[in-house]
Amino acid sequence: MLIDCPFCGPRDSHEFQFLRVLAPAGADEFNEVYGRVNRLDVSVELWQHRHGCQAWLVVERNPSTAQVLSVALLRGDRP
Amino acid sequence: MTLRQGSRLGERRLQFQFDGQPLTAQAGDTIASALLANGISLVARSIKYHRPRGILAADQSEPNALVTVGVDAAAIANVSASSTLLHDGMIVRSQSGWPTLGFDLAAMFGSMRGVLSAGFYYKTFMWPSWRFYEPMIRRLAGLGPAPTASDAPIVEREHIETGIAIAGGGAAGLIAALSAARTGARVVLIERDSTCGGELDFETASIDGKPAREWIDDTMAELLQRGVRILTDTTLVGESQQRLLAVHRPARRDSQTMYRIHARACIRATGAVEQPIAFINNDAPGVMLAGAAELYLARYGVHVGKNVVLFGNHDRLYATAKRLLDGGVNVQAVVDTRAYVRPLHIEELRARGVECMQHHAVRSSHGRRRVHAVTVVSLDDAHRSQRISCDTLLVSGGWVATGTHGAVTLDHLHWSRACGAAAGAWPLQEVLNQASGVGIEAARVCGYDGTAVSTMASGDPAPGVQAFVVSPATPTEQKLQFVDLQNDVTVADLRQAIDEGFVDIEHIKRYTTLGVGTDQGATASALGAAIALKLLGKPNELAKPSRRRLPLHPISLAALSGPRIGTAFAPIRRTPLHDWHVANGAVMESMGLWMRPRYYRSNGSDASSAGIAEAARARQSGGFMDASTLGKIEVHGRDAAAFLDSVCLMRASLLRDGRSKYTVILREDGMVIADGLIMRLANDRFITTVSSDHADHLAAHFQYWRDRRWSDRRILMTDVTEAWAAIAVAGLHSRKKLSTLLGRPFVEALGTLAHMSFFEAQHRGQELRILRASYAGELGYELHCRPDAAVSLCELLIDAGLKPYGIEALDVLRTEKGYLGGSEMNGQTTPYDLGLSAQLHANERCIGSALLNRAAFNEPERQALIGIRAADGRSRFLAGAQIVATDRRTRSAGHVTSAVFSPALSQWVGLALIDRSVVSSGVSLLAMDPLRQLQTAIVTTAAAHFDPTGERMKST
Repeated sequence: MLIDCPFCGPRDSHEFQFLRVLAPAGADEFNEVYGRVNRLDVSVELWQHRHGCQAWLVVERNPSTAQVLSVALLRGDRP
Repeated sequence: MTLRQGSRLGERRLQFQFDGQPLTAQAGDTIASALLANGISLVARSIKYHRPRGILAADQSEPNALVTVGVDAAAIANVSASSTLLHDGMIVRSQSGWPTLGFDLAAMFGSMRGVLSAGFYYKTFMWPSWRFYEPMIRRLAGLGPAPTASDAPIVEREHIETGIAIAGGGAAGLIAALSAARTGARVVLIERDSTCGGELDFETASIDGKPAREWIDDTMAELLQRGVRILTDTTLVGESQQRLLAVHRPARRDSQTMYRIHARACIRATGAVEQPIAFINNDAPGVMLAGAAELYLARYGVHVGKNVVLFGNHDRLYATAKRLLDGGVNVQAVVDTRAYVRPLHIEELRARGVECMQHHAVRSSHGRRRVHAVTVVSLDDAHRSQRISCDTLLVSGGWVATGTHGAVTLDHLHWSRACGAAAGAWPLQEVLNQASGVGIEAARVCGYDGTAVSTMASGDPAPGVQAFVVSPATPTEQKLQFVDLQNDVTVADLRQAIDEGFVDIEHIKRYTTLGVGTDQGATASALGAAIALKLLGKPNELAKPSRRRLPLHPISLAALSGPRIGTAFAPIRRTPLHDWHVANGAVMESMGLWMRPRYYRSNGSDASSAGIAEAARARQSGGFMDASTLGKIEVHGRDAAAFLDSVCLMRASLLRDGRSKYTVILREDGMVIADGLIMRLANDRFITTVSSDHADHLAAHFQYWRDRRWSDRRILMTDVTEAWAAIAVAGLHSRKKLSTLLGRPFVEALGTLAHMSFFEAQHRGQELRILRASYAGELGYELHCRPDAAVSLCELLIDAGLKPYGIEALDVLRTEKGYLGGSEMNGQTTPYDLGLSAQLHANERCIGSALLNRAAFNEPERQALIGIRAADGRSRFLAGAQIVATDRRTRSAGHVTSAVFSPALSQWVGLALIDRSVVSSGVSLLAMDPLRQLQTAIVTTAAAHFDPTGERMKST
């Protein structure tokens, strides 16, 4: 799986570390941690380019095909 | 011995050994072809019944002929003789025959077939537990032993980016590659043999008027000239998320390459696997797949037998019989299960003296170590049977496309198609037409276009297979009809599984071990699925073999890890004082990636006695330790204080310059992830120090929250762990000693420095930051200096009479004080659990504090940290022991997190997480440690065992 890092370009997923699924906007503290949106087609996830530029990313992925749909910096996405 | 003639053979003679017997072979031979050429047919014993087994196949589908190659501890077991090239001097041994292959004691299991049925192990070895029997059973039934030493082959890894990856270089793969390459697309072709061509090698075929071999050579030449990369001797082992994995095994075993191929499109031209038919004693040496016999003849000039009977259900048998006759092999009979066969096929063979029988089947073979006859039965009348003498029975029950026999296909992940026989195409002309079309489709995916290469081909006609999977037999005889030769699964086992209620082939597979071997059921899964359907009374068209799993072929773990092993996988981090420690007799120990001094040899012969001696000395006369591994994160910027307020359980904004404060850091769910100090260097500059193993993790945590909530604020964050060495000096006289050795500018500052304060000054022209704090609970100072100043500072401390102590002593000192370590902050403990409620009141709006209000964290049974000692004041207990109440010994009430012998208190002291309700009930407690055979009555105390008020640390 390739993740297109906004700083480093497309890199192998080995370089990234997954944190968790991003809670939908407006979730309370509990759902921020434990709430799970479990959709087959789109999963919005938090990844860090841990073995690269360290950037925190919001990655939209199709979990049934492992296709990466979009990559954005977490920085631009404030709840 | 005269030289054999075969398309893969060279003229050089090779020497090798099989079970100690010196034998000769020719360059190009596989282990199997060399054994067959030497007339050896018994090569293995079966896994369960230890029945004699021979060579069934000529490629990776071989279920029987697994051998061990090499002699020493690094000998490789379970090598497939049928797909491994022989090299000069190779030492080959058979497996699972004991004491010898020819005389196998365990073959008496053969007479226990009725007992060792499916599920036998699960049902029988239940008492007292399976673990009790497992070693014995593994010794008797198992494949070869795992090597105990590494032969450290060089495993290289190559990433290939390409347009189209094609697996399989037979007729289909070659034409697909040619079609695609002519459009200009980039192509990589993977072929498991040493050259391309596949079955064209021995089929009587011609393409575009050329003999097959000439067409193969011309096509390969054009492909190479067009820049196609052809990887021969390379096996496809996996297909996963947009990449293919393939392993290259060169002729010599001293190096291999793992390719990861990223392609826009993949084509699977992996062909089809010939299937056997189940009949009585179908596992005897001398029973072989018909295609394998042809291949051994054409490629290696080997006659697999002198008198051959063919048995099958399709027309290819007759072409095979003719080619064997032409090659000098005597064919006795062709037994065809079909009622009608075109006379054309039969006439020529009959003229050459071959008996041809239709609507007949081989009922059983005779002969234990080698077939010497077969019984053929009429399918019209089961009472009409005849015996035919022969030394080899060639069987062919049709073919199963590799795609459908379960290769994991991920068509949805990227563009991937099967072509040729793998897609069910047959005969040659259809294969070529279909595959060249697929080649063009793949090229289009990569943005190229062109027309499919068209060819005129003639070869063997479509075989006209009519399903026939199992010969007639009584239920008792079904115990001798083998379906999976590698796992000794018989038709009777399948029947039993069905009788016991298993219906789905995936369940039957797991219950009977059908197709779970190293061959992944290449010759067993499809056959087993078809027989199961027959037993269930369902039509054969539904036969769906069980799924295969990656890797598709056995590969060594070394091939998977590649060069990334040892320090190339986990690099070693050394502090600036590393060499100094080693030179001063330290025993170094890895903690995470860091190497740290555990203890110094001059203080004791083992870690525990040296640690106690070092800790005792530190309390009496002082000492110092290397704290450079301490994680240090510098947070800088106008909003740094506010940011730290939000991620740390303290108020950094209330901290004055030059002061520091203890803090814990919570995960979002409220658990403590780390503790440390925050030092305020300036109004907008802080350093957060955390225990060594948390630095990386904490930096990521901080970066996450900065990006998540504070991205529009001015905060910079840098991990400065390696920019600062740190030496912790502890002891009653540490102030005096530091004043003496550091000299003038420091004397006054040290004199007035309050607990948890620090200052910065220049020492010998270099920055030195001195923080008054101690993890040892003594009057103590942390000296933070630049890495290259660390050694000279250390020497100064030695000159002042201070001695170093290691982490073993540190553990003693901090446990005496009840300070938290990694086993207390284990990711499952809250600030309440760890006695840090006061911290929580200081900052209730920190990340993680919101979820601390959950009811479960305040239940009376919740475990909390507490000090423990032995009830008798003497006995030993160790970290990891379970704690139980004496009135309820079967329930764990907690566990010991840290335990040390305290030199200051002359007894064992420890910390434990224990159920609060159990502690408050006052019941007596036991530390149970059955693994180390310790059982200690304990009492609870305050966590701080030594100097609970901290007088020593705060003394002026």
